[in-house]
Amino acid sequence: MANKNISIRNKLMRIIMLVCGIVVLITCAVFFLYDFYSFRESTLQNISTYGQIISNNSTAAIAFESKEDAKEILSALKAEPHIVAASIYDANGQLFCAYPADYDINQLPKTAGAIGYHFTRTALEGFQPIVQGSKQLGILYLKSDLNALYGRFKLYTIIVVLILGLSFVITFLLSKFLQRGISAPILALAETAKAISEQKDYSVRAIKLSDDEVGSLTDAFNQMLTEIHEQTEMLNEFNQTLEQRVKNRTTELEVANKELESFSYSVSHDLRAPARAIHSYANVFLEDYGDKIDEEGKRLINIVLKNGQKMGFLIDDLLSFSRLGRIELTKTKLSMYDIVSGVWNELYKTEENRNVTLVLKELPDAYAEKTTMQQVWVNLISNALKYTKNNPETVIEISAEEKNTEIIYCIKDNGSGFDMRYYNKLFGVFQRLHSQEEFEGTGVGLAIVQRVLEKHGGKIWADSKVNEGATFYFSLPIN
Amino acid sequence: MPFLKKITYIRFSFLLVFCNVFFVSGQIATREYQVKAAFVFNFTQFVEWPTQSFANPETRAVIGILGKDPFGTYLDETITGESLNKHSLTIQHFKDADEITNCQILFINLSDKNELKAILEKLKGKNILTVSDANGFTKLGGMVRLYIKDDKINIQINLDAVKEENLVISSKLLKLAEIVKTDKK
Repeated sequence: MANKNISIRNKLMRIIMLVCGIVVLITCAVFFLYDFYSFRESTLQNISTYGQIISNNSTAAIAFESKEDAKEILSALKAEPHIVAASIYDANGQLFCAYPADYDINQLPKTAGAIGYHFTRTALEGFQPIVQGSKQLGILYLKSDLNALYGRFKLYTIIVVLILGLSFVITFLLSKFLQRGISAPILALAETAKAISEQKDYSVRAIKLSDDEVGSLTDAFNQMLTEIHEQTEMLNEFNQTLEQRVKNRTTELEVANKELESFSYSVSHDLRAPARAIHSYANVFLEDYGDKIDEEGKRLINIVLKNGQKMGFLIDDLLSFSRLGRIELTKTKLSMYDIVSGVWNELYKTEENRNVTLVLKELPDAYAEKTTMQQVWVNLISNALKYTKNNPETVIEISAEEKNTEIIYCIKDNGSGFDMRYYNKLFGVFQRLHSQEEFEGTGVGLAIVQRVLEKHGGKIWADSKVNEGATFYFSLPIN
Repeated sequence: MPFLKKITYIRFSFLLVFCNVFFVSGQIATREYQVKAAFVFNFTQFVEWPTQSFANPETRAVIGILGKDPFGTYLDETITGESLNKHSLTIQHFKDADEITNCQILFINLSDKNELKAILEKLKGKNILTVSDANGFTKLGGMVRLYIKDDKINIQINLDAVKEENLVISSKLLKLAEIVKTDKK
């Protein structure tokens, strides 16, 4: 804040002082130039006036060759100390008389030169005709030093420096006083803005100090504050209602979900007994009365038997799926390698006649619930075995890699794969990408896997191409 | 051709040397009258004549010489192309004062005092500036006398005589001159 303070004041003062300085400098320069030229002109005027007087007076002296008289006339130049030398040349241009008497004649022009005065670096000198009536009798030479001019120079320089200095001091003091008119309201506004943003109190209003642009800025600022204030309040209100609504909706949803879960659980639970009954009674029927019915009756009762069994599987899967929603996970440190090996050995027993190669890489330990994790591996490995059953040679590769805060496990097979166009159906309950005739199953396996992983804070995804195998990945957070 | 030029040049320089030797004897007198001729001419610039001195504006201004002409060609050379108040200057030689009518400056090269007195008497009322280098000229009533003193030509002026003839001499000239009066004997 202090820095800002200084900077805006400084800027204003600098502008004022710069403008004043330039104006004063230009004014002084113009006056100086004007005076310099007019003084030059007047010096020129002066010397030619002296020349006029001297030449008027010296006509007779030249005409009648009176050097004494000429000297006497020239000596009148003593009155003008700036005229340092003078000489008279006769009609033939020969030196007739010089002033001052002790002046080194060698420094004077030997003969008369062209009429007229001119400035050299150190002097003003020139020739002037000496005329009586219409007759030119001789030529007068005058030389004036420029001390007066240089003296004037010096004086002017001193005056300019003094004026500049004085005007700077006055400008400094004035600008220090005057800039407040501009900077004070801005600074006050900035102060208010800072206070508001620090204290988040939008009810504060900036005080309007002037009716100029800064004043209207203050008005606009205050209006903005009012709007912000209103909007903040509206937003708060809206937020509160929204929170309430979300809470209500969540509660409702939770209740509905619970109801649905318990419904599906009780339905599947209740359905299990009749399904078993159908299956076991059909079985008993076939055993006891198999020889009493014809082939068509046997075929039909076998269909009943098979479907009853299938219904039993479906209900079992459904039960375990809906049970997942209820159970609480008790996570422990698990050796995934051991779990995978155990599951593999168990599942491979039924497939021993197949040509299957398992590539099992090193797997990091996981922090998870054991039973459900076993379920995950069972489902994934049995899927891999299932969808490679038509392969003459099966290769299943299980690996893992640690990435940032999670471990990604991966199982890859070279089976029939699936079409990525139907990927969104892959993890749905009872959703199957293959027909029952092609590959048997209930369509609950991957849904269970997804549910388990979600409960662990992990994810599952897959990648595949038809007939080129499938790769399933799932992630578990480290800790 | 270059040969011929060279000969001409040698001849010419020879002539110059010869002339110098020839004129050395008369040099002092010559220089004196050269200066006096210039002085006589310069009087035309520092003296004002009354208008009746000239018959009409076209009349020539005359510098007269009474007695033997001591100037040789100097006066002629000096006044060539010059004028007196727009009247072009000319020289006239007079044998007798009686024949002088239109004349502005008269140089009298005579030394006899009685003769001079008679001449000055005759010139009265003709507005003529009388000039001479004769001793006692101004004291006889002559106006301007040129005399040598300290190797320098000095001027003596009889201001009363000048005024009598309604002539006005510039104060600048008077400043240089010695003012004398007519002897009243």
